[in-house]
Amino acid sequence: MPVRRYIAIALLVLGWVAGLGCGTTQTQVTGVSNPVQFQAQPFQRPEACLPCHQRQFDELRQAVKAGYRNASPLFNGLEAAGNLINGGLLRPVYSDSTIILPDGTLLNTNMFSSPILTETRQVQAGFCFTCHNADAETVGENPQTREVPPLPGLGSMFDPTIFRPLRDYNLVDANGNQLIPPQIGAYPPAGAQPSLGAAGITCDFCHDQNGPNLDRSFQHDGFGNTSLYLNQTKEKVGPFLFPVAVKNNFHVASNDSNKIAFLRAGAFCNTCHDVRLPNNNLTSNEVNINPGGQNVQVFRLENLSTEWQLGPYNSTNNPFGKVVRCQDCHMSLFPYAGNTSYEVGDLSVTSPTPGVFPTDYAAVPGLSTDQNYPLQKRQVVTHFFTGVDVPLLSAQELKDRLGSTYPDPYANSIDTHGLPTAIAVRRQDLLQAATRVSLAHSDTSVASGGSFTVRVEAVSLTGHRFPAGFSQERTAYIQLSVTDANGFVLYQSGYVVDKPHPNTGETSPDGNLDDEDVEHVHAVVDPGHFASGAYAPGTTTNGGNNVVFELGPDDGPESRVSEGKPEGLVLFRNELTHIFLPCPSSSTNPPCTTDLVGRTDAQGNQIHVQTAHFEETFNAALANSVDNYRSLQPLQPRIFEYQIQLPTQAELQTLGVTLKGPLQIHAQVNFEHFPPLFLRYLTQTTGAGGPTGNGLNLLTEQSIDSLLKNVQNISEADTSVTLLP
Amino acid sequence: MSSALRLLTLSWLLLGVAFAQSGGVYTPGQFQTTNPNYLLPNPFYFEGRIDWNLLGITLPLNAWEFMERGIHYQDDLDDTASAIADYETALTFNSLQNGTCQIVTAASLVNGVLPSTLNPAPCIFTLRLRLGYLQEQSNPPYAIQLFQEVLKIDPLKLGVNSLIGETYVIEAEQTSDPVAQAQAYANAIQAYQAELALSPVTAVTTALTGDTANNAHVHWALAQIYLTLNQLSSAKSELQIYLQATQWHSDVYPWRITLANKLIATLP
Repeated sequence: MPVRRYIAIALLVLGWVAGLGCGTTQTQVTGVSNPVQFQAQPFQRPEACLPCHQRQFDELRQAVKAGYRNASPLFNGLEAAGNLINGGLLRPVYSDSTIILPDGTLLNTNMFSSPILTETRQVQAGFCFTCHNADAETVGENPQTREVPPLPGLGSMFDPTIFRPLRDYNLVDANGNQLIPPQIGAYPPAGAQPSLGAAGITCDFCHDQNGPNLDRSFQHDGFGNTSLYLNQTKEKVGPFLFPVAVKNNFHVASNDSNKIAFLRAGAFCNTCHDVRLPNNNLTSNEVNINPGGQNVQVFRLENLSTEWQLGPYNSTNNPFGKVVRCQDCHMSLFPYAGNTSYEVGDLSVTSPTPGVFPTDYAAVPGLSTDQNYPLQKRQVVTHFFTGVDVPLLSAQELKDRLGSTYPDPYANSIDTHGLPTAIAVRRQDLLQAATRVSLAHSDTSVASGGSFTVRVEAVSLTGHRFPAGFSQERTAYIQLSVTDANGFVLYQSGYVVDKPHPNTGETSPDGNLDDEDVEHVHAVVDPGHFASGAYAPGTTTNGGNNVVFELGPDDGPESRVSEGKPEGLVLFRNELTHIFLPCPSSSTNPPCTTDLVGRTDAQGNQIHVQTAHFEETFNAALANSVDNYRSLQPLQPRIFEYQIQLPTQAELQTLGVTLKGPLQIHAQVNFEHFPPLFLRYLTQTTGAGGPTGNGLNLLTEQSIDSLLKNVQNISEADTSVTLLP
Repeated sequence: MSSALRLLTLSWLLLGVAFAQSGGVYTPGQFQTTNPNYLLPNPFYFEGRIDWNLLGITLPLNAWEFMERGIHYQDDLDDTASAIADYETALTFNSLQNGTCQIVTAASLVNGVLPSTLNPAPCIFTLRLRLGYLQEQSNPPYAIQLFQEVLKIDPLKLGVNSLIGETYVIEAEQTSDPVAQAQAYANAIQAYQAELALSPVTAVTTALTGDTANNAHVHWALAQIYLTLNQLSSAKSELQIYLQATQWHSDVYPWRITLANKLIATLP
């Protein structure tokens, strides 16, 4: 077992690390049989690392995971929405919990502290918080250092009126004491500073790793749900052996070759970047295979690591002839280190080269090392961890929540390597490296009044599928237009229309297209509402179902996947599905509501299903199936056909139009990190009209309008089609 | 199913068994447990498309595997004939007629709960929709029969009644018998109206979205039928609703909006 090998080697190198780990306070690596003992060191703020690692600190601050995530209205809204559906079960519990599970046992371990996840409630406890703030959750075992308290009541005892967003707990005053806004969700009080946990996945998280925790991964493979050991000691795992000793023994640079190798491998990223959600999946049976875990059923919300693990970049069978790790794209100079040209199927591709790293100091020379031992420049990694998100927070609110030096996401700035630093710029450049499209297989001519086929060949160049991560919300799609030589639009797909959104107060079109959804489906998600009296988790009172759900004019996803029709939107977004089930024929107590789809027929009667009914859902808490195969798999080109009918001569005559050839075809891939309809659901369910009865102050129509920025045209292709008489 | 097809199916089955028994490249039950892309039904089949290269299936053996290979033929290889053959084979393993599949209703529950295994397995709608679409032109009655089976599986599924409507229109256009043609158009209208009934524009819809109509393509299709039948008043009405439905959503064929306006101006 790798962990045991780490331990054995680490014990050997202990002697070499003369005296550094021999303090009076010791801590044990939990969950391993042969623990290493290093001097305990509490979870550190990233600022503690700043003096010696300024560059890494600056880069990491731009990253979502260690930057704005915990202040993000989206992250907070998602976590809140899940809790409002299920009665607060996603909030962490700690070892002092007195909550009793339905089977009579005590629930006093959360997703991170449970040695083996034998109960669904253990996976739910701290489900979001664990992955995004495992260190803070660990620190929270001590009530004196706990930031996020357990809720006083869960399930049917949940009180939504006292529910706060997580970010309410991420503020401290000038003395470091927790500063909870007096009103739920209120703007940070003057003088508030970010708490220890505000930064989320910080320096300490990765460099405290102590190997994979197989027992907490559902397939006993070290994949997903933070299945690794964290070692809050002075031992910090870096990327290379035999580093220079650290000044004043602030930390001990690990010389454990196995830990170092783990940190440098994709396997390290795998421990978090699969997310298995504890819900019954009615189309695919997947349970925790660890002893006692058979009752914990899961489905794959994020499947990124599995996709990489099974894909061409985790082999030498890719254009670069070597394994391309997560670090090679997300911790390197990518996509700013030159291009490589290669063939993928019949596509000729030129794209940024992965795996090129800068040369720099690993720490600041002159102040980082014992006896000021001189440092050499060496190949180092960057810590931008660029992804596909940008904050839905203003630059000012970012500073007010995360500190006055928090960088502007849209700044036009470069670092010492000459690379853009702003997250929005880096996101755009990363996305532009993600896909390529071609129209080369399209029909080359069409008779006037006839039909023809446009074929868009699309390929993902990413190490995982595209989009990945929370791929059921990440919205990548093909925008296609067919015009004649005069610009007359004959066909469009992947288009958006400026329209009102009365559900969130936008009563007329606002001139902004970034807040519009593509036109394949029209959906409004029921935000739920506050109901006086007993809280009932999982009922329609708490929202989540589609109160409006109808097909739009560009319905490609459904017609292409289910019907095999060559028409409509090509959407690479994966899909969460809610399979509604009929109720038993005899009455139940409490009354069965699984058959309610959440909307009414034309006569105003609630629609009940009589048979199993599949429907896209936008709330993961309500999903019981998931389709993770709508995204593009890496380096496997696919051709998407559009069968397009030209207007007949009679129709053209009525229109008063004479078509002029050749026809112009344009295809481009666009990206939006979250669909607006989903943001509007979060806006409402966390708003004053939602189940809490309070405004959590997370999102508004105005914040969506001003802060949701999509990325258009990450790849494109053009061709022309001869128009025959 | 034709006898040739039955023979083909049997041959495939025997081949598969031979492979399994000889320790060849494909042993059912082996890769399924280690390949996360091969989803074990619980209890429903995965109603979608999985990239064929990820499944590791050499020879399909059951309804789902034949369907997935059929999808591969249809989507990736543009081989419609092979897709149809695979879908037909899949249907023999997942048939309402021969009792190899079931509609999941309250009667499928055991003590009020859906068991993790259903025997027979649930009927697959993707299979029927895809096969039906490929049969629309060549065999409209068969396509309609398949679509109607989907409505038995899930009467609330959107788009199925539209498929039935468009297939009846194809049937009407293909026949030279005026009585049959009239009946086919009447059936098409009924099917399209059934589609509209599944997503009605209620006061709630309008309050939340501002939409006063939806399903633009259904109204366009209805207008075309009424124009063909020279029922101009109905055609005009449908075109007006089409314009309402496209007000905030446009159309993949945006020129239809202009055309609808011009037609409305000329219709009585």
